[in-house]
Amino acid sequence: MAAAPPIQVRGLIKNYGSFQAVRGIDFEVHAGEVFALLGPNGAGKTTTVEVLEGLRSRNGGDVKVLGFDPGEQSKPLKDRIGVCLQATNLPDRIKVREALELFSDLYSHQQDSKTLLQRLELQDKQNDFYSELSGGQKQRLALALALINDPQVLFLDEPTAGLDPQARHEIHVLIRDLRSDNRTILLTTHYIEEAEKLCDRVAIIDEGRIIAMGTPKEIRRQTMGHSYIEIHSEHDLPENLPSFDSAEKISVGTDKRSLTVHSTQPARALVELVKWLDQHNVELSDVHLKQPTLEDVFIEMTGRRLRD
Amino acid sequence: MKPYLALINIDLKLALRNKSVIFFNYLFPLIFFFAFAQFLGDGLGGRISYIVSMVLVLGILGNGLFGAGMRAVQEREANILRRFKVAPISPIPILAASMVTGWALYLPSVILVLGLAHFFYGMEIPERWFALFALISIGVVAFRAVGLILAAVANSIQESNILIQTLYMPMLFLSGATFPMTMLPVWAQVTAQYLPATYLVTGFQGVFYRQESLFENWPAVLALTATIVLSTFVSAKLFRWEKDEKIAGSAKLWVVGVLLPFFALGSYELWSRDNINKAEALWRDLDRRELLLIQNARVFIGDGRVIESGTVLVEDGKIQGVFDSNAPDSSRWRGEVIDAAGKTLLPGLIDVHVHLAASGAVVASENEYDFEDAMERALAAYLYSGVTTVKSVGDPVQATLRLRDRERSREVQGAELFVCGPMFTTEGGHGTEYFETRPLAIRELVAQQWVRTPLSREESGQQVRKLKAAGVDSIKAILEAGREGMLFNRMDMSILDGIAEEARALELPLTVHTGNSQDMEAAIEAQANSIEHGSSIDETPLATFRRMANNGIAYDPTLSVREALLNLSKGNTKPFERSLLQQIGPLELLLQTLEALESGQMRQRLSQRSLEDELVRAQANLLAAHRVGVSLVTGTDSGNPLVFHGPAIHRELQLWVEAGLSPAVALQAATRNAAALLGAGDRLGLIQAGYDANLLLVDGNPLEDIASTERISLIVYKGGRVERSRLFE
Repeated sequence: MAAAPPIQVRGLIKNYGSFQAVRGIDFEVHAGEVFALLGPNGAGKTTTVEVLEGLRSRNGGDVKVLGFDPGEQSKPLKDRIGVCLQATNLPDRIKVREALELFSDLYSHQQDSKTLLQRLELQDKQNDFYSELSGGQKQRLALALALINDPQVLFLDEPTAGLDPQARHEIHVLIRDLRSDNRTILLTTHYIEEAEKLCDRVAIIDEGRIIAMGTPKEIRRQTMGHSYIEIHSEHDLPENLPSFDSAEKISVGTDKRSLTVHSTQPARALVELVKWLDQHNVELSDVHLKQPTLEDVFIEMTGRRLRD
Repeated sequence: MKPYLALINIDLKLALRNKSVIFFNYLFPLIFFFAFAQFLGDGLGGRISYIVSMVLVLGILGNGLFGAGMRAVQEREANILRRFKVAPISPIPILAASMVTGWALYLPSVILVLGLAHFFYGMEIPERWFALFALISIGVVAFRAVGLILAAVANSIQESNILIQTLYMPMLFLSGATFPMTMLPVWAQVTAQYLPATYLVTGFQGVFYRQESLFENWPAVLALTATIVLSTFVSAKLFRWEKDEKIAGSAKLWVVGVLLPFFALGSYELWSRDNINKAEALWRDLDRRELLLIQNARVFIGDGRVIESGTVLVEDGKIQGVFDSNAPDSSRWRGEVIDAAGKTLLPGLIDVHVHLAASGAVVASENEYDFEDAMERALAAYLYSGVTTVKSVGDPVQATLRLRDRERSREVQGAELFVCGPMFTTEGGHGTEYFETRPLAIRELVAQQWVRTPLSREESGQQVRKLKAAGVDSIKAILEAGREGMLFNRMDMSILDGIAEEARALELPLTVHTGNSQDMEAAIEAQANSIEHGSSIDETPLATFRRMANNGIAYDPTLSVREALLNLSKGNTKPFERSLLQQIGPLELLLQTLEALESGQMRQRLSQRSLEDELVRAQANLLAAHRVGVSLVTGTDSGNPLVFHGPAIHRELQLWVEAGLSPAVALQAATRNAAALLGAGDRLGLIQAGYDANLLLVDGNPLEDIASTERISLIVYKGGRVERSRLFE
């Protein structure tokens, strides 16, 4: 019999006064899996992980993390998990090495902090004060602290929020690296590409509910979402629009020089489009073929963009 | 344990990297230290310990309220605590680390301040250094705990600022940490009793000035410890890791709850007044340690020698030096300098025969049964009059011993008190007549306080031993058969012997009251140390006085009470014109007495003629005693009608000079001789280095005009200037 999944959530409900932040969520994260909770700000992602981390009580549902109920066994649970919170700080004048030593003393088992520093490329910074670190370095230190107790389960709440692209890339590399350690990772994010690039499975959350869950591919497939071809011409397009068998919808841009063809069979539609362009002597300046994204899925399901 | 050590370790490192921590813990107290030392600098002397205690409390206040309170709020607001929330620890290690760190950071500051005070200002390191260390430690931790509870209930930095200042400001100004409590108005003193810092100030000063132990400060120690426990518990309960968690307004009341021990303590202290009295007493202690230089005075040493223009240096309650030339240069002096040109400096006067519980009034006052307040006032009246030492020779024993202790601890202000307690007499003897008018129900009790009437030699010995155990300084026995119209039973000689023998064995001086020359012979036989009253009804044979001189028995003629009886019989109101008497009052008592005197109701009871003879005879006997070299001492029998506590001794001196003695002889009797009789000749009665600084500075020259002793310019008692105007507050 396979071991129980390290994270099991069934019917989780969390209210803040009369506001229902989480309205009945079910999911499981399997050992070694990287799982993302994707959703806009205020969707209930952070609340959900904080319940799982033993930081908040819950109003309903069953939750087990590594076999512990976070509401009742938070201390042994906290000892075993790694957490990288959103918006935390360390004292300005603490040195990187000291922070690691301090937190390692708070846990019952530890990883060697030298190895960690190396792994997170902080060995040159180990005698620097916290206040002297860049945003990316601070986040790497936060990750190092989350790993100090060599946790089997890692919670990363918005690990790259507010970082510049370079720093974000570095964090992504690290997370992939961690995944190869066979740790179970639950992360929250409102970056689509982060979820798509890093995660085995994704749950899309909106207003306290999971509206879609699966591998990124599965989610995309669940939707009505289509690929589309977009062209731009040097001159105005002909008045009479074409009609292709393979096209679901064809639309012209307001500048009359761009055309979008939505299709479930993009390759076929492309052939027909090229023929039509040739017939009408349209001179192309640009051509794109686009696949649907999770963003499109989100928009389709909620009518809103993720980043709004 | 590991998390505790790790948190303490990092808290310490972070604190030492924080400039404001360094500033407020180390530099700030130093600034205050030197500022106070400058302001209170004149004659710093013993004041340095006072300043050290102030600076210590200031440091503790800052360390606790700002160091612990403010920092805890800042860490929460900066999302630092949040990071610890995900670790498997409770708030307790975080709170404990804050308390321990504050304590560890504060100790170097203590050593710094004590060291500076010691090396630069000559402060002695307190004998009870452990009590000091323990009190400081409990104080720091308690104020850290208070800081943490403030942090626990404050929802923002602004709020914590308001809360901290609300506690900090009153404690800064009212606790005695910046202004001595005694300088504050009454409402402030009352408020101060509810402030934890107050007890640190008086506690530290108690350790510095009185070598108090931790146990003697138990109410404060108990309240501080209770605050530590309560605060830690409540802070842990209310602990918030995140700034977003807000706390309900009503939870702020927990602060009140945590300070509850101090509400209880404050109420207790206001009821008992212990702490306010202690603060006042400490302030007087401080005053007594001051440096004082009295220069250009005529100095009457006390043993007959006179320096025509001398300088006396006082410090730490003692006379440090007496100079006739080569006096210390006063311009370079860091003390108070008093120019006493045209004045005469005498040792504080000593009255060896007083009854504190009697008022001096003619009619029994309403307070007849409530004499404790009257005794306290009487003791202050002596000090007011330049009498720095008195011997009570017949007063309720418990009340008198209590008063002596309270004066010793500076809780009440007054002359130093020597106590005989009850008078030894016999059934139906002199001394017992006062109780015959008392209700039967309380007569026994009253008698128990006032007299001893042993029936056998053995019983007399037992009673002396019991009194010694109770703490009396000497024993008084009455040996008088009275006279026609007022006869008493006279004590059996074997009983007197029993008393005398036991008193000698216990080294208690024995004072014997006599009515005639025959009584005096008996007292000499019993080897008394002094004879009180002598005889006024017969001429004492020179042989008797010679025996006294040979045996070193002092003679105390108490002429004042003889004259008072005469004045009473004549209805003479002249004594009421004396300025010193009017100053002391109390007015009501004087007016009542004056009225009774003018009504003439006392006259027919007393024979004016025989009283005049008695005074003349007593004066003649005194002169005779002096001529054969008897050691003379001054007593007044104050408390008897028209013999008022304080001024009486000045009149006694005048009566001696009227009797034909020189002022110098009279003054020596009131100083050195009296001190010797008290068994305190090694520290009282002389203006000499090493002696208690009890000094009376008068205008003019009493060696020429004895009445000038009443023209008091300054009184110094145990090194402190007596604020005469405040004595009767």
